[in-house]
Amino acid sequence: MSDLNNGISRRSVLKGAAVGGLGIAAGGSLLAGCGSGATGPLAYGARSVDAGPTAQNEALLAAYTAKTGNEVKYNATESNAFQNNLSQYLQGTPDDAFEWMAGYRMQFFAEQGLLADLTGVWDTIGDQYAESYKIASTGLDGKQYFVPRSWYPWGLHFRKSMFQELGLNADNVTNWDEFLKMLDGMKKKGLIGFAAGNKGGWEAMGTFDILNARINGYQFHVDLLAGREKWTDAKVTEVFTYWEQLIPYMNTNVLDLEWDGAMQLLLQKKAGSMLMGSWFGGNFKEQSEADYLDLSIIPFPEINPANGRDTIDAPIDGYCVAANGTNNEGGADFLKFAGDIEGVNAILGAKDANGLPIPMTSANKGQDTSSYDPFQKEQLAVMAEAKYITQFLDRDTRPDFAGPVVGPAIQSWFKNPKDIAKIQDTLQSQWDALPPLA
Amino acid sequence: MSVDLQLAQAAAKYKNKQKIKDRFISVFIGIFALVWIFPIAWTIWTSLRPYKDVRANGLFSIPETLNFDNYSQAISRMDLPLYFWNTALITVPAVFLTLFFGSLIAFVVSRYSFKWNVSLLLLFTAGNLLPAQLVFIPVFKMYVSLGKAVGMPRILYDSPWGVVLIHVAFQMGFATFVLSSYMKTVPKEISESAMVDGASVFTHYTKVMLPLLRPALASLGVLMTTWIYNDFFWALVLMSSDSKRPITSALGRLQGEFVTDYNLLAAGATIAALPTLIVFFLLRKQFVSGLTLGSTKG
Repeated sequence: MSDLNNGISRRSVLKGAAVGGLGIAAGGSLLAGCGSGATGPLAYGARSVDAGPTAQNEALLAAYTAKTGNEVKYNATESNAFQNNLSQYLQGTPDDAFEWMAGYRMQFFAEQGLLADLTGVWDTIGDQYAESYKIASTGLDGKQYFVPRSWYPWGLHFRKSMFQELGLNADNVTNWDEFLKMLDGMKKKGLIGFAAGNKGGWEAMGTFDILNARINGYQFHVDLLAGREKWTDAKVTEVFTYWEQLIPYMNTNVLDLEWDGAMQLLLQKKAGSMLMGSWFGGNFKEQSEADYLDLSIIPFPEINPANGRDTIDAPIDGYCVAANGTNNEGGADFLKFAGDIEGVNAILGAKDANGLPIPMTSANKGQDTSSYDPFQKEQLAVMAEAKYITQFLDRDTRPDFAGPVVGPAIQSWFKNPKDIAKIQDTLQSQWDALPPLA
Repeated sequence: MSVDLQLAQAAAKYKNKQKIKDRFISVFIGIFALVWIFPIAWTIWTSLRPYKDVRANGLFSIPETLNFDNYSQAISRMDLPLYFWNTALITVPAVFLTLFFGSLIAFVVSRYSFKWNVSLLLLFTAGNLLPAQLVFIPVFKMYVSLGKAVGMPRILYDSPWGVVLIHVAFQMGFATFVLSSYMKTVPKEISESAMVDGASVFTHYTKVMLPLLRPALASLGVLMTTWIYNDFFWALVLMSSDSKRPITSALGRLQGEFVTDYNLLAAGATIAALPTLIVFFLLRKQFVSGLTLGSTKG
């Protein structure tokens, strides 16, 4: 019902903007000090057709149009199709502003000159974001090409009710020994300790990321993914040695399950814990509010005291401006609004079909976290503990390496962990064989 | 008498043997039929279950509820009228143009002998062998730069006409090949008498050949329709606006970024497959003859 209202109000806002377009536009230029001028109509490419993000985007666009009088054409594409076709999209007739991801995935296209420089936007809204977000938004040439919107952490998820039944306290699972003890206790009760699915090939990359960062530290991890360290390094072997200790506590069909299969084990209380991005919480929420409220997250336990729990995989989603768009200035102006707390609040104010808020953890410092649900607050806490943020393996390294090479390599390791030396050799030789980036 | 008996016995034995053989073959065919029907049956079965049920109880559990909710949800989320219209906008012109151009070339190549006619036929047929994945980047760049050159960036790229054009170009090779083999089965005498009666080349084509080609055109048309209908690739790489893409891409709308509801997807896939099924059952005869078209030279 409120979704309907939302739609109506958005439409009437657009209509109002069209009728009073001149007046508002004039007002906009008078208020140029606020950072928004009349930059003309623009097109916005959304990377999702799901109900939640659509409601959020519509709220954002309506707020922008109401403020500036600029009409925004909304083009939504399903996320997989959008992602697979992005290269053509950006070279062809792209929308002016579009949704994308931070880190290497943004830099890859920025290097090819397909993204517009957003340094000016960052001059205006930069102080609303922590330094780590600015780093994730910066291209290899030192200029910003990205404005963050939201993020989600990768951590150890469990069900509070299960921990209670098992007499476990999440605060006591902070290091590797305690973690193994917890898994052992679950195994003795006939449960799967550490649910895992890796049929898709990308799921287990999260486990590799966190183990590598915990054991060898943030710097080694990013250096390895950038090719400055070798995959044949003994440090990488050690990651897999630790990983192997977890195998007895995993479900036996890791390579037959996709992430959602592993999630079902947790939902059905057959598994005690799972390492995954918190985004999957939406599934619990869809199942029932009670299941969602039962969900909890803690940082992955410490392994090497020198590193503590200082690193986290927290992929950032946000926006870019396409260099080949027809209105770069308008795109940048829109992102200035979307990144500003005003735009962020418009997004956070969006409601789903049942009139409930849509959980989203914003990247903006000024966000009002009082309306966040307990699970979101835990995510914030997990994030706050981390000093370094990584984006996830397939966003932190070359796209032609992550999916085609690392994914199958980890899958073959699951088939035979004893092959690790051979797998490391393959990884390194495949990296060496990659063509240089243009 | 005894010879007769022996013969009868032998015949009975043979019949028996044949029966066993038949039974064996039936079982074999039955197994294959099951293997073929299984994915479809499983899709339909999946589409009747809500994902909530699967998520809570696992894939191989006894369903708590079976209903058509997934279908009604799929229909509303897929924006069916829009995407079916988009598909029609691509498929109908593409099929007609392919048949038209294909029959023209086939006509010239098979009815008139000139120096290059075999090479011409080979050239068109060879085009079939190029995989789409190999040529899509040049085609894409061509479309974009052509759009820039004429000052209308969306004249071919991100336009249904661009997709129609590439389908015509790609399918014409096969159409030419099939239609020319069919035309070769039409007795030369018909053409000769038409020419003696003073028919021009054009009359020869429209009044004499086209009516004779009708069965071949019908079956080829059915095949082309299903192929072009099922295309996802060209529409994906040659269009940037999702709202212009055909029904095959609308299926993606059911696949969330984070939550993939396979039960809903199964319902959507069943709906999207319906038109091809209907076309197939209505024109089954043409379809089967289409598959063997040109395989024998009458």
